[in-house]
Amino acid sequence: MSQNETEDRQRSSALAWRLWKGPGLTWLALVALFAVSLGSAYLPLGAGNLALNLLIAIIMIGLLVIFLMDLKNAKTIIRVVAAAGLFWTIFMFALIFNDYLSRTY
Amino acid sequence: MTETAGALREPWPDLRLQREGVGLGMWIFLASEVLFFGSLFCGYAVYRTFNVEAFRIAGAHTEIVYGSINTVLLLTSSLTMTIALRAATAELRNLTLYCLAATAALGAAFVLCKGLEYHEDLKQHLFPGLHFPLSPPATQMFWGFYWIMTGIHAVHLTGGIVVVLVVFTLFKRRVIPVQGSTMEGVAIYWHFVDSVWLVLYPLLYLAGRP
Repeated sequence: MSQNETEDRQRSSALAWRLWKGPGLTWLALVALFAVSLGSAYLPLGAGNLALNLLIAIIMIGLLVIFLMDLKNAKTIIRVVAAAGLFWTIFMFALIFNDYLSRTY
Repeated sequence: MTETAGALREPWPDLRLQREGVGLGMWIFLASEVLFFGSLFCGYAVYRTFNVEAFRIAGAHTEIVYGSINTVLLLTSSLTMTIALRAATAELRNLTLYCLAATAALGAAFVLCKGLEYHEDLKQHLFPGLHFPLSPPATQMFWGFYWIMTGIHAVHLTGGIVVVLVVFTLFKRRVIPVQGSTMEGVAIYWHFVDSVWLVLYPLLYLAGRP
């Protein structure tokens, strides 16, 4: 094997490692969190079960959005748009529950 | 004309800006989708607040094995989609094609699993209306949300699979080059459909377990 071919192979394997490393680690973290979520659902925590499962879901979505959707390297305008969806959803929940939870009948 | 030049469209001066433009457009669309699914989650939250026990009873009857398999399938499809996007940006055509094919296959496996799960649900008459087997009556609300939420999600995912297959074919036939901005929009949409499932999973499959 010529020296050029060896260098090409080294370069392509280094590139493959760069491509897979970050997303691969994120995937491992996501699968681990999924396992924790599934396992914890069988613990007798009462109302805490759904709260814990939703908290894990929020962390998982955070990992997915930041690392796989690459919001960490996105421009500010894209982050603002992504935050806008979240912002109005929180607003919707706040206003609707403001009504239902304050009813006396 | 080089392949990179062929990927560039008016009015963008370079590919990086073009990709950002596509990404921004897709994020604006997804922000509206967040509100669409958010309203369903909000409806679920309101009804669950007033029917905690009924939702727990109803939630115990969802097929956790299918739901869990589907979660892992979608998480893995997000990994292959991310690699497809990165490979496309690095102009690694073959890796892009392999990863797109894997993503579509994982998505199809999800839909197949969902079909088997729906079959099991229907065998047990778990569809709101006559002959619904559970009580109290509010358990039907949970199952109403189950069918609407998973149905709309499956429609979104099926749309995603079709788009991935179309893009795969266009790349394969070299109609459009992989390093253009197409992959940017496809990848962001796919991850969004995955993230919606990450909320549905605890709400529908884990809610009635303990």
